[in-house]
Amino acid sequence: MSTDTIVAISTGGTNSGINIIRISGEEAKVIISKIFNNSEKLSHQKIIYGKIIDPETTETLDEVLVSCFVAPNSYTGEDVFEINTHGGRRVTLDVLNLVIKNGARIAEAGEFSKRAFLNGKMDLSKAEAVIDLINSKTKVQKQIAVNQLEGGLSEKVKNIRNALIELIAQIEVNIDYPEYDYEELSKNALKLILERQKDNIYALIRSRDEGKFIKDGIDLAIVGGTNSGKSSLLNQLANEERAIVTDIEGTTRDIIEESLVIGNLLVNVSDTAGIRETEDIVESIGIKKSLEIIEKVDLIIYMIDSTKGIKEKDEEIINEIIEKKIPVIICVNKIDISREMVLSIIENLPKDALKVGISAKTGEGIEKLKNAIQDKFDTTAFDNKQDKIIVNERHKSNLEIALQHLNKAIECVEREESIDISAIEISETISELGKITGEITSEDIVNKIFEKFCLGK
Amino acid sequence: MIEYKDKDYEVIVIGGGHAGIEAALAAARLGKETAMFVMNLDSVANMPCNPSIGGTSKGHLVREIDALGGQMGISADTCFIQSKMLNVSKGPAVHSLRAQIDRKKYNMYMKNVLENQEHLDVIQSEVIEIIADNKQITGVKTKTGAIFGTKTVVVATGTYLKGKVIIGEVSYESGPDGVFPANELSNSLINLGIELRRFKTGTPARINIKTLDLSKMEVQKGDSEVTPFSFSNEDNEELQKVEQIDCYLTYTNEDTHKEIMDNIDRSPLFNGSIESVGPRYCPSIEDKVMRFRDKERHQIFIEPMGKDTGEMYIQGMSSSLPEEIQKKLYKTVEGMEDCRFMRSAYAIEYDAIDSTNLTLGLKYKDYTGLYFAGQINGSSGYEEAAAQGLIAGINAARSLENLPEFTLDRSEAYIGVLIDDLVTKGTNEPYRMMTSRAEYRLMLRQDNADLRLTEKGYDIGLISEERFSKYLAKKESIKNELERIKTVKVKADDKTNDILRANGSQEITRGTNLNELLKRTELSYEILAPLDEERPELSKAVKEQVDIQIKYEGYIKLQQEQINRFKKLEEKKIPEDLEYNKISGLSLEARQKLTKQQPINVGQASRISGVSPADISVLLIAITQFLKSNKKG
Repeated sequence: MSTDTIVAISTGGTNSGINIIRISGEEAKVIISKIFNNSEKLSHQKIIYGKIIDPETTETLDEVLVSCFVAPNSYTGEDVFEINTHGGRRVTLDVLNLVIKNGARIAEAGEFSKRAFLNGKMDLSKAEAVIDLINSKTKVQKQIAVNQLEGGLSEKVKNIRNALIELIAQIEVNIDYPEYDYEELSKNALKLILERQKDNIYALIRSRDEGKFIKDGIDLAIVGGTNSGKSSLLNQLANEERAIVTDIEGTTRDIIEESLVIGNLLVNVSDTAGIRETEDIVESIGIKKSLEIIEKVDLIIYMIDSTKGIKEKDEEIINEIIEKKIPVIICVNKIDISREMVLSIIENLPKDALKVGISAKTGEGIEKLKNAIQDKFDTTAFDNKQDKIIVNERHKSNLEIALQHLNKAIECVEREESIDISAIEISETISELGKITGEITSEDIVNKIFEKFCLGK
Repeated sequence: MIEYKDKDYEVIVIGGGHAGIEAALAAARLGKETAMFVMNLDSVANMPCNPSIGGTSKGHLVREIDALGGQMGISADTCFIQSKMLNVSKGPAVHSLRAQIDRKKYNMYMKNVLENQEHLDVIQSEVIEIIADNKQITGVKTKTGAIFGTKTVVVATGTYLKGKVIIGEVSYESGPDGVFPANELSNSLINLGIELRRFKTGTPARINIKTLDLSKMEVQKGDSEVTPFSFSNEDNEELQKVEQIDCYLTYTNEDTHKEIMDNIDRSPLFNGSIESVGPRYCPSIEDKVMRFRDKERHQIFIEPMGKDTGEMYIQGMSSSLPEEIQKKLYKTVEGMEDCRFMRSAYAIEYDAIDSTNLTLGLKYKDYTGLYFAGQINGSSGYEEAAAQGLIAGINAARSLENLPEFTLDRSEAYIGVLIDDLVTKGTNEPYRMMTSRAEYRLMLRQDNADLRLTEKGYDIGLISEERFSKYLAKKESIKNELERIKTVKVKADDKTNDILRANGSQEITRGTNLNELLKRTELSYEILAPLDEERPELSKAVKEQVDIQIKYEGYIKLQQEQINRFKKLEEKKIPEDLEYNKISGLSLEARQKLTKQQPINVGQASRISGVSPADISVLLIAITQFLKSNKKG
């Protein structure tokens, strides 16, 4: 196994006072002994106070706490050291660079978890939950990630799988022991059971779609005419709390400017809307094209400059948007210049559209806008839903394949196809679900047959 | 004892049961000088339990054995007294052939086949020692002091090794059906370093038919049209003329269950005097009653032991209760009130090996020339035994010519599933084949066993030229008919729609091809005959293939894709000198299991219990790195 040593800032962001730099790998101990003055005191599960000193310049970078975990009894199963820095962002980055200079490399996203997984420290579904946890950006997200980690998804999938195993055992017993007087399932009974489990799988997939807003955030496009105040609005929204996204600044994509946290909601100002590249998408690429873009987002903020009134184009686009049922909030800007003007424009806008008067310049109405955004995606409800399960991409694809097989099984039953054909599809469903929980099928069915039925000479 | 040197053979088979026979015949037919040692010549090919061959998934095994050039199918066709295709209402993948067999005739017929086989000697003598020199087999020694030289031995001792029969409080050393047990060979195996364990099985009593009131039971008849096991009998009209004998069905009742409950403390299974592992699918009647208390009655099938005997096998009433209780118990059953025992039910314990020490070709990994087949490997059933015997015999013969092992994988045959399960997963109870164990059963049908395996059998050298050319003709004929039927146009006229309507099928409004109609569940090749005037004269078997292959085309394609995925991991070979202990990411359990079992490919590794999907990811990475660094080095 390749065991080069990796390092990353494992706390959320570099702006907080205390940050943790995690180092894992064969060289971790050597590196620590070069840069930490109290390294000889370190032993398994001890936390030692000392100084990080650059061995070349003998300059002290920070006073830190270092905790030590000796392989294999660590998170990754390798030697792991965690440096708790106190000096804020600049110092944390300096210490990180020092570690890299002395032989480590920056970890890829989720690489600690990957190592933990490869070293047999966690199963696949846990590892993925941890990766989600690392990447999780808001409070709700973290809760859900924790829930999945504790096996919420596994549990649900297992229940579905077990129900199908019971069913197939009942089918198989009649195939393998045709002369025994075990009742064969009627077409309707079979269908009923299959459809119940189909609903359950559906629910899990749906929970992903709902959960997607929490997990990946909502995609927002700010649309409007030239100089209607789009950039100013973005700055207002972003001002308060910049999104914290990655382990280490600069090592990942520059989402920072585009992701905002509004209340409990992660908001990605959609790049596809081209707000940064193109000053005025409506005018530069035309209404048709801009509608194509905004169709892909979860929410549109449409900006109207109240000093210029509602233009024909504005009306056209707003009507399109409403017709297409794309969630939209219309912001009428420059309330600081004329409140009356704003109100009269709001009067003239479609009744069922959500409208907010704001000043992108002074910040007036921004709080109201934020509330409106949050109301649109009522995620506070998730705060109380402890059992909400987030399904990641892999699980989703497993669930979708399972669903396809289950649908085919139901079709087979409806067409009164012979039972061995339906059984193939049911078995496929079971084994696809097993990919989520890491279980293998054939022996499970055989065991169930003998557990449930009395057979033999 | 004074020893003496006797003849040298190339292959020696220990045991003349279903496994031993196939092994000995295969080796001899491949031209190897072979000897088969049996405890008692009158017990060759004995059926000490149910007098039938085949059944669900077991019928598949018999047809596969036949397609590879084995004997069981032909012998069963010669000696059957009732033939039945099971599961006909359930689709072709699970159709299973079963035949009641005249037990004595089977014994005599097989003995005759063995006696007349070129290159084969059948010898009644107890082998007490397998001789090896530096992990290479060199010979065997018999109880009477004869030493036979050989480079290969197939051990197929069934339930004879340290056999112990248990009937209630009574137990004694014995093989099945009152034949002597083989007590000394166990020690020889232990001396070779082979670990043994105790397995258990059982059989019900045999009752004289004249003491049964059959009028109180349901009659179970065979099929009016007999399906042969052997593909070589596909056109054999003689089989249709065989006079079939009925079986009967009756049930246990409250009185039976009460009798058992009242005496359960006298059952060695429950009072702890039998500790060995018995199979779940073969529970004794006391097991069934105790475990499934709310089941009001259990089925009992009465099967004839032969044409010339009144002995009846009482399936469903296997027991190790004391004889006295057994007799009372049987008398509670309807139609059995006055029954009289000819043989009592008994349980039997025997030595078996840990099958995970074998290769997929059934060679014991630590030795050159040592093969195991049948019940000693932890399987149960005549068909499972025969299948292993065939593979072990083939490979013993091949090893003498330094040919690679012949193996079948899980996508090729039930035999592949059986051996992979035994060798890769291992078993803690006597292993029975079941269709639900096969992942790809739509491909592994009993009807296409010849299409799957005849070419392999031919390449090995067990299929004659004559049979092979017959097979090729059949294959060609299927191919042509499949192509032809796709070009047959069907008009949307009254003639067509009358036929469709008559068969409950939706009428057509536009012309179509015949194969499209054939895909409908409710239609068949036969039903559509009137719409297909140019249809050539074809055998029943060919028509069946055309019907199935078109009807299930979509599913067959789907399953083929699954097989392709499966094959990917099977084709990832594990380098022989890969050291699992040096792969840091593997869990401890995986490291130990992989080191012990030495799987040949990643697919096999993934089926070893205790090896997790995470271990497999690690293994895949490790293999890639290993191959890379070897290339560099």
